[in-house]
Amino acid sequence: MNAETATGAAATSETLYVAHEKLYPREVGGRFQRLRVATVLLLLGLFYALPWIPWEGRQAVLFDLPARKFYILGLVFWPQDFFLLSWLLIIAALSLFFVTALAGRLWCGYACPQTVWTEVFVWMERLVEGNRSQRIKLDRAPLTAAKLLRKSAKQALWIGFSAWTGFTFVGLFTPIDLLARELASLTLGPWELFWIVFYGFATYGNAGYLREQVCEYMCPYARFQSAMFDRDTLIISYDERRGEPRGRRPRGIDHRARNLGDCIDCTLCVQVCPTGIDIRKGLQYECIACAACIDACDEVMDRMAYPRGLIRYATEASMRGERARILRPRTAIYATLLGALVAGFVAAVVLRNPLGIDVIRDRNALFRMLEDGTIENVYIVRLLNKDQREHRLRLSVEGNPALHLDTDATDRLVAAGEVATMAVRLRLSAGPAGGQDVTLRATAVDDDDDDDDDEAHLTATAVTRFIAPPR
Amino acid sequence: MNTNEPTSPTRWPQRRQDVAAGLWASFLVAAAASVLCFAFVDPAQLDFLPYAGESTAGRMTGYGVGFFFLWIVAAAASGLTLFLARTERADAADSEQR
Repeated sequence: MNAETATGAAATSETLYVAHEKLYPREVGGRFQRLRVATVLLLLGLFYALPWIPWEGRQAVLFDLPARKFYILGLVFWPQDFFLLSWLLIIAALSLFFVTALAGRLWCGYACPQTVWTEVFVWMERLVEGNRSQRIKLDRAPLTAAKLLRKSAKQALWIGFSAWTGFTFVGLFTPIDLLARELASLTLGPWELFWIVFYGFATYGNAGYLREQVCEYMCPYARFQSAMFDRDTLIISYDERRGEPRGRRPRGIDHRARNLGDCIDCTLCVQVCPTGIDIRKGLQYECIACAACIDACDEVMDRMAYPRGLIRYATEASMRGERARILRPRTAIYATLLGALVAGFVAAVVLRNPLGIDVIRDRNALFRMLEDGTIENVYIVRLLNKDQREHRLRLSVEGNPALHLDTDATDRLVAAGEVATMAVRLRLSAGPAGGQDVTLRATAVDDDDDDDDDEAHLTATAVTRFIAPPR
Repeated sequence: MNTNEPTSPTRWPQRRQDVAAGLWASFLVAAAASVLCFAFVDPAQLDFLPYAGESTAGRMTGYGVGFFFLWIVAAAASGLTLFLARTERADAADSEQR
């Protein structure tokens, strides 16, 4: 198509001519933009509100790093349950692949934190500096008191919002009510303060300045998402067969008679693009699928009284007039894997042992010889109750019958979600000495065991080393 | 200028792209490695850190220092990789492409 290459070349030289350091996306309204605003409000609302939601006297979602315990609603995860969390991450990654294969980069356009926070920062910029042409003019204008005032107001909004974001982020990892009190009394710990500033600064820089450049130069997903695409993936596409040859024309003429397509070459789709690409050149990895060009083009089509959808969500196959297939080997494999992983995860969470035992050898001495020839090793034992109710836990030793357990109390009452730490001495009075493995067992011996047989079997073991010189 | 024309940002110079990609990739890897590492290691029980018991301050220091250590290590690998990739002889790169 000669006409197409010609217009394409003209557009390129034009954009080269007006090349700028900064991108000024034009504001646009429309159904997809309303959907995006709704998603942004939902996701950010969730992010900022989540740390404040209580659950049975604690924070509902708290990845308590100082205490090394993760709370997600009714579930408590311990470092020992780490594989469950990695499992969850694998499920999340696979869901992303699945959605990408089905409907392209929905993640980028609607849910990625980079997009979501950029939307908010752009909104604040618009609020203070006005629309696209006003912003361009303001940036070109010499520095006056009015310009300084506008720029400072924007910075104040941005910095305030970033600080709040950093605070909320740290509030997901350390109890937020405590954090708020520390902030109010200016007694924040150095690391808490550091991470608030770090995350706040990252938000400020990424959403305020880097914006689409993060997607373009730094995002790995943008580069490998094409591996998940096929001809049945829903992408934002320009209907070339309908639009070309593009060209400006007076309203109300019969453009077909003049051998013109539906594209009036108003470049609005390029002006609204937050990554500055021309969707009419086809799918590009810079496209974050925000659908701003769809809304802009639909508005123009309405004004020209042409049918909507010159730019639309479509699959490569449907653009060629073939039937779209949702079920295909790729999606079937992703869906099966996803289903199996989710089922496995649920089973693992339900079936996991609510008791745990950690044994740490005393650091100071390998062993101690008592006066009567008994050999003693000292351990720190931690009894973990990950259950939702308290348990009376009894400690016992297994293996060598000549080994005796000596501790202040073998039974300990451990509250739900708590850890009991106890010093334990193991004594070997007779028999073959030398190093040996011993098993320490914690068993739930609750008072109400009579009427609940299952509880009697709650038990956890840990193997440790008993060190003794050869006799 | 006409404010009704598309604006297009100037592309980043190669050097800036390299630095950004190297730092960002190592940041992502360091974050993942920190999660993995501290799932198994409790910084409160590391011998080379001042023993602070199960205190908040001791652990926060462990996490923070650990993360930045991992970031520096990963960034060093990224930087070295970029250096080797970018200092290849031009004619060698050409012959590979052909």
